[in-house]
Amino acid sequence: MILRNRLLQKSVLVATAGAVALLMAGCGSGSGSSGTGSGSKAPLVIGASVSLTGDFSDSGKAVERGYQLWADTVNAQGGVLGRKVQLKIVDDASSPVQVVTNYQNLINKDHVDLTFGPFSTLLTIPASRVAERYGYAFLAPAGGGPDVFAQNLKDFFFVQPAPTTESGDVFAQYILSLPASERPKTAAYAELDDPFSAPIAENIRTKFEAAGIKTVYKQVYPSETQDLSPVMAALAATKPDVIVGGTQSEDAYSMVKSLVQLNYNPKFMYQSNGANSPLEFPDKVGKGNTSGIFSSADWFPGSTATGSAAFTKAYVAKFGGSAQTVDDSSAEAYAVGQLVQAVAAKTGKIDNATIISTLHSGSWPTILGNLAWSANGSPTGTFNLVQWQGGKLLPVYPSSVAQAKPLAVKPSWGG
Amino acid sequence: MHALVQGLILGILTAGVYALMASGQTLIFGVMKVVNLAQGAMVILSAYLSYQLFTSFGIDPLLAIPATTVVMFVLGVVVQLVFLRPLRAEDRSELSLLVTFAVALLLEGIMSVTWSTSVRSINTSYANSSWSVGGYQITLVRLWAFLLSIAALGILYLLLNRTRLGRAIRATVQNPESARLLGVESDRVSAIGFGLGAATAAAAGSIYGLLYPFNSGSHYDLISRLLSIVLLGGLGSIGGAVVGALIVSTSSAVVAATISPSWSEMTFFVILLLVLLVRPQGLFGTTARGAI
Amino acid sequence: MRSPRSLLGTVRGVGFFVVLGVLPWLTPAHWILNILVFTLMYAVMSSAWNLVGGFAGYPSLGHAAFFGIGAYSMNLWFEHRTLHSGYEPFLFLPVIGLFAGLVGLGVGAIAMRTRADVFAIVTITLLFVTQTLAFNLRGLTHGAQGLSIAVPPFPLATFERPFYFVLLGLLAVAMGISYGAMRSKFGLSLAAIRADEDKARGIGVRVLGVKLLAFSVSVGLTAMVGGVWAYYEGYIYPQFAVDPLVTIAIVLMTFLGGRATLWGPVIGALLLETTQQTLAYTLGGSQFYLIAYALVFLVVMLLMPQGIVPSVQDLLRRRRRRSVVDGGEPAPGADDPVDPPAHSPGLGQSMTAANGRG
Repeated sequence: MILRNRLLQKSVLVATAGAVALLMAGCGSGSGSSGTGSGSKAPLVIGASVSLTGDFSDSGKAVERGYQLWADTVNAQGGVLGRKVQLKIVDDASSPVQVVTNYQNLINKDHVDLTFGPFSTLLTIPASRVAERYGYAFLAPAGGGPDVFAQNLKDFFFVQPAPTTESGDVFAQYILSLPASERPKTAAYAELDDPFSAPIAENIRTKFEAAGIKTVYKQVYPSETQDLSPVMAALAATKPDVIVGGTQSEDAYSMVKSLVQLNYNPKFMYQSNGANSPLEFPDKVGKGNTSGIFSSADWFPGSTATGSAAFTKAYVAKFGGSAQTVDDSSAEAYAVGQLVQAVAAKTGKIDNATIISTLHSGSWPTILGNLAWSANGSPTGTFNLVQWQGGKLLPVYPSSVAQAKPLAVKPSWGG
Repeated sequence: MHALVQGLILGILTAGVYALMASGQTLIFGVMKVVNLAQGAMVILSAYLSYQLFTSFGIDPLLAIPATTVVMFVLGVVVQLVFLRPLRAEDRSELSLLVTFAVALLLEGIMSVTWSTSVRSINTSYANSSWSVGGYQITLVRLWAFLLSIAALGILYLLLNRTRLGRAIRATVQNPESARLLGVESDRVSAIGFGLGAATAAAAGSIYGLLYPFNSGSHYDLISRLLSIVLLGGLGSIGGAVVGALIVSTSSAVVAATISPSWSEMTFFVILLLVLLVRPQGLFGTTARGAI
Repeated sequence: MRSPRSLLGTVRGVGFFVVLGVLPWLTPAHWILNILVFTLMYAVMSSAWNLVGGFAGYPSLGHAAFFGIGAYSMNLWFEHRTLHSGYEPFLFLPVIGLFAGLVGLGVGAIAMRTRADVFAIVTITLLFVTQTLAFNLRGLTHGAQGLSIAVPPFPLATFERPFYFVLLGLLAVAMGISYGAMRSKFGLSLAAIRADEDKARGIGVRVLGVKLLAFSVSVGLTAMVGGVWAYYEGYIYPQFAVDPLVTIAIVLMTFLGGRATLWGPVIGALLLETTQQTLAYTLGGSQFYLIAYALVFLVVMLLMPQGIVPSVQDLLRRRRRRSVVDGGEPAPGADDPVDPPAHSPGLGQSMTAANGRG
């Protein structure tokens, strides 16, 4: 908990400069739509508020890279319907107050043509309400918790294959697809207390319990837990066949480290997030300790979904690294752009009403696979199950996307 | 029962590093009557220094301690001279809260520019080694952390009790007025006292970096714990800081292991409030400052 | 009995509220009103904090806990009632204020056994306890999953106005209380407590009652702002509802503007919140922000430890003294009393502060 570095939110210093800024900003005309405009058409201005500072800044920057990469790609091809894409990305410092102000300003001060969703996920709901009020389509690459769909906003589209809380269901499907003799008998759950982690594990638990897999341990831990050793010690003592971690990032690493230290190796292990980070995960827990761990992913290196190869190539060319270092948040952000392009190609128009009405029907190919939505903006697909094998993260289930067979029993720690 | 004992072991092993940080915090309060809200940021800064030495030069964090100690001592003295000394005596206690908080922000800003805000951890070769003793796991890293913290606390104890400087510092803590009459240069003692407090953060930071992942924002979590510890033990009492650290860290580890980690933070806050109800000056606080 | 200066103070106050009152018609731009809504929230909270942190000298760091209590109390209304006109939740605000005030009495009775640094730390501890409770009392708060609040059915064109005017009303209440306190025995008692609590008790000030009352009123107002925030923001997460940053912001604003003054907290809030909101938007994110912010913060603390309002007053007073020959002495005890010079020790400072600075 505690103060958090969202403190930047108060980054003002400005104090001395005086409140004049407000007045000056009032005088300055909407500068958002002044493009270089060598072409005849006005640029397509797209606004988004992303956490570039504060708690969520790492993923925030990944989202920014995704948006930027898409804009560069589409501009190189002549833009959307001949209009150059111009991004206006502003920082919300991971603050719920600032994100509201930012979308207000983007829409009513700078009159952007379209809005893309924010990162972090916790900021999606307040932001989506502002966009809805003014009739803007809201394509969000993050923040697909149940509450956001419960709002029943008709302009909202969550750009991932399934609602976040259902991203682990594919693991349950895989386990239950095994012959009864190979299935685990007992399960333990350790869940991070945030809207996008614990519910994933809870969904798996519901499915496992219905199938007769006994819950021998369940613990929810708060996000500031630095040290999962006490939880893991208690968990290991119950000797579960399968460990399901509703994890985010650091806690996933800490979980694996603790289990290695405790020398407890379950038959199956799943972590909702963290373990699907191709670069960080082996670096933090040791390459040998990754073997056999399952996770969920929408985009993954080597994906064959529409435009994925081009995306990977462009990403590496622009930001360096390799396919393995591409953050899936960047891919999700990129997919948001792809959708705008697809709508324009299909209808020959690009405006908010068109986007809203068009996306609600049919299935739309993106680098995350084919996406489709129900009326409240919740996507109707499924995630892919990925597994670490020989130091690589590979899609293993469902078989339509699989590049390797799943290892049915987890190898011991250290590979 | 097993979980309880495992929690106790963990708690005691972790208590060392908190005792070290808190003793610096309480020392600074003792000599200057300043609650240093930048103590947590200083710990994280030295964790980063150790991280850098480890990743760039392969220097083990525990061996890096002497180097980071010197750096942090100098930093502490500078902070005292530049930011705290100019404050007027009559509103020093109120303003110093804000000033040290601003220093914490400054350090946080510098750290997030230098190392970005991604979470770092120091992965030494022995990071995952552990022993099993009678069915209980004791990790090597924690044991080292504990022993080193005890050693650092021992050095601090000797410094305060066996040297002239130490006597001057203790005299200032007990009674600044009479210390001045006895010829103690309070300005010099304040600067050195602040430096020493920061230096304990150096050792603590190297150890902390070994135990936990951290980023520039981690200091907020630390400072709230540190404040509880020093308040529980009694502001200005180093012995109190050690006992406070022991109580805070074992109670939260035991609650995390037996009940739920969700309530572990709460446990020591509640203990603190209860203690303050009975003894507003803390367990070992002698000065009734700040209390009725 | 009213001196010209006091009249000037009244004119200033009325003028301020009239300007803010007609502003929505002068600049109906949503984005400006949105920023003003957030600014007013902080202005109310800073003024409220000033009652206990400024006048009584008890630097509470726990006010964000009451902001959160207000936010979650507002949700209770939504769980048992449905929106019709959209104005109903505002009618519930006084209940929230009263409830939080009562909680504040209990909390204050414990926390105010300590003073100064220890009080600051105890209150921030209370804040963390409240945050943990918000995370863990899932039946009441839904914990980390957060709570959704119904969308206000206000017309698009004037969407922000109800929030704006409710907050403006709260600001009038908060400033009215400060104004009243500065001109009453209550304010004198607070100043006496701030200067030396034991002496204050010695001269017959009912110390416990006075400081508890100040604390209770202060946190009650803060909770009401929390309620408005929840309704406006539409979603409550524990880490945002009980956010130490809120506390830090209001303390900063009060210190920047000037503690124990009527206008200081308001000016601090206007400066900090509007510039922060605007600059974060226009300049985008840069990690150098934090460094620059901290540096300016430090410079202000070192050069203007009393805040803007008292420093400016000192400056004006010095000028006035220079022109005293042709101007004549301003009446002491009036709006701008002849304060002792800025470097005088705390006692005189706070006594005159209570006498009133306009």
